[in-house]
Amino acid sequence: MRLLAVGLSHRTAPVELRELVDFARGGLDVALAALAARGVTREAVVLSTCNRAEIYAVSESDAAAGTIGGFFSEYHQIQDGRVAEYLYRLSGSDAARHLFTVAAGLDSLVVGEPQILGQVKAAFSVASDLRYTGALTNRLFHSAFAVGKRVRADTGLGEGAVSVSYAAIALARKIFGDLKGLRVLILGAGEMAKLTGVHLQAQQVREIAIASRTHASAHGLASRLSGRAVAWTDLDAALTAADIVVTATGAAEPVLTRQRVDAIMRPRRGRPLFIIDIAVPRDVESAVGDLDQVFLYNIDDLQTIVKENLARRTTELARAEAIVDEEVAKFSTWMQSREIIPTVVALRERFEAIRQAELRRLEPKLAGLPPEARARVDEITHLIVEKLLLTPTEQLKTVNDDTMAVTYSDALNRLFGLAEEPAAMGVKRQSGAERRVK
Amino acid sequence: MHLLPLILYAAATAAYVVHFAWRDPRVGRLATATLGAGVLAHTFLIGMQTVQVGHAPLVGTTAAISAFVWLLGLSYLYVELTTDERAMGLFVAILLVVLYLIPALDPSVSPRPPVLRSPLFTVHVVSMLFAYASFALGAVLGITYVLLFKEIKAKQLGFFYARLPSLQTLDVMNARVVTIGWICLTLGITIGGIWAAQVHQVPDPRVQAMSVLDPKILVALVSWAVYSFAVFARRVGWSGRRAAWLSTVGFAIVLLNFVPVGYFLTKSHNF
Repeated sequence: MRLLAVGLSHRTAPVELRELVDFARGGLDVALAALAARGVTREAVVLSTCNRAEIYAVSESDAAAGTIGGFFSEYHQIQDGRVAEYLYRLSGSDAARHLFTVAAGLDSLVVGEPQILGQVKAAFSVASDLRYTGALTNRLFHSAFAVGKRVRADTGLGEGAVSVSYAAIALARKIFGDLKGLRVLILGAGEMAKLTGVHLQAQQVREIAIASRTHASAHGLASRLSGRAVAWTDLDAALTAADIVVTATGAAEPVLTRQRVDAIMRPRRGRPLFIIDIAVPRDVESAVGDLDQVFLYNIDDLQTIVKENLARRTTELARAEAIVDEEVAKFSTWMQSREIIPTVVALRERFEAIRQAELRRLEPKLAGLPPEARARVDEITHLIVEKLLLTPTEQLKTVNDDTMAVTYSDALNRLFGLAEEPAAMGVKRQSGAERRVK
Repeated sequence: MHLLPLILYAAATAAYVVHFAWRDPRVGRLATATLGAGVLAHTFLIGMQTVQVGHAPLVGTTAAISAFVWLLGLSYLYVELTTDERAMGLFVAILLVVLYLIPALDPSVSPRPPVLRSPLFTVHVVSMLFAYASFALGAVLGITYVLLFKEIKAKQLGFFYARLPSLQTLDVMNARVVTIGWICLTLGITIGGIWAAQVHQVPDPRVQAMSVLDPKILVALVSWAVYSFAVFARRVGWSGRRAAWLSTVGFAIVLLNFVPVGYFLTKSHNF
């Protein structure tokens, strides 16, 4: 039994190729069924996002990695040579490490982004619902979820907004707390104004008002954002009512002067005003930021925050990697015990079976012996078997490398014919593994 | 025994420092648990003193400081558990340790003179202490508000930005504790006045010194004026940063009245 991870990601493959091997497009269930039909995998999970396409599988065949690699091109009907060079093929604890790194957001385009953990969970639940997963993939994915959760909780990796819109929303939250009761005023009706409006709308603000010099375009954007259009002449009243003002007009001169904002601040009675100026050239005089209870951020300020957050995330990498290492070690130990312990048990059972069989075969010759002598024979043969098995058992238990574990298991299976009675052996192996898990 | 709360408060402070710096939730829970243990030990201590002298140990500035520390610890734990916000713990814990040094160095309990054997006296002291504990929380909220405000205003998002709740949350909590404190202060001063009027014939020099001109009473009235302004000026726009400053200044006056005035200047409140 071997754990495999075969796939490609934004780190290895160009976007044109990633688009071609998107498993999610045709449905993960279809892809899983097609993979299962190849007959080499016992368990499988397909993870497919815009940045990666990966198959995690458990197989008994040594050629499985090649078959799964081939599946990428066959399933998507791409010339084989084109995909193969971009694929990584990992096995055992390397495969586990890769999944843990992915789930922690360490392998993402934007390091630490949180969506990937949800995508990994979704990929697993599709495979799990359709019963393509088994003991090994179950354990693997649940460990991966734990890694993602720990990295999120114990490191600052996911902290700090890494896009301008999220930086603005994070700031607004730090000023106002919940954004639900807030009134937003957007000046301008262009593309930037629309984008910011969509982000704020997603925060379920109380009201979005749009003011533009051309009333028609204000109406257009207002209807798209289910907001309210404000006439340019009523701007001061709208400013007084607003908590967050986004300015994105194409005006060459500042729209909000210090004098104007100072005047609208008076009737607000100390209610804070957060002005986000994303226009270039700027719509708001920088002196406006000096007014009490006014927080003014322009596009450059927001971009600086984003840069700082990205830099801070990289310093948290080491802590996140330590968590991944720890969990990989735990998982590997568990996986090896699965490999080795059943082999040890099977080996001992085989030796004992041979001893018993020989004793039965010699029964006519031993029949004449007195009971004490027969007990002696039983004891001596038992001791010989124990002595013969002592060193191999100890050696096997100290194997701490999963490729070695597989090699040993394979060798022992072959040398002693341990897999010859598959039905009986299967039951015993499973019970051995379960004992160990408990 | 009287050092145990000090040790636990100090340990809690250390844990809050570590939690504030590294934001490890396990250390945060440890800090809360240690502070809880400190308050519990302090409760036992006050209980034992009550049994020992036969009345609540509220006589004299030292006993009042001890009771204040206990009330503040308890109120803070209540706020922390109800809001799930641990960032203020560091500031509160430091205040607890510094103030508790005084009763820790002088753990003796003063006997109660007959003139103080009135339920009005107990109500007066308890409501004043509760007001002071609320104002202490208000000051911590005010200081953190100003620190966060400055970071956001200066566009230098750093240490406090990552650790403190939103300005709005801090302001709302500040308004709440200052209002509660103001109600208790008003009650405490009124009851104190009534009690002083009742006992003014007692020939104790301290009772005779009860007048608006006594430093302790005067400064208490000043703090009442400051907090009355803080409560009512909110309605006309003194919220946010101004309210934060007001609650900080107000508590500075309270602290001044509580410790230096209480020990060295007052002629009426030195029982």
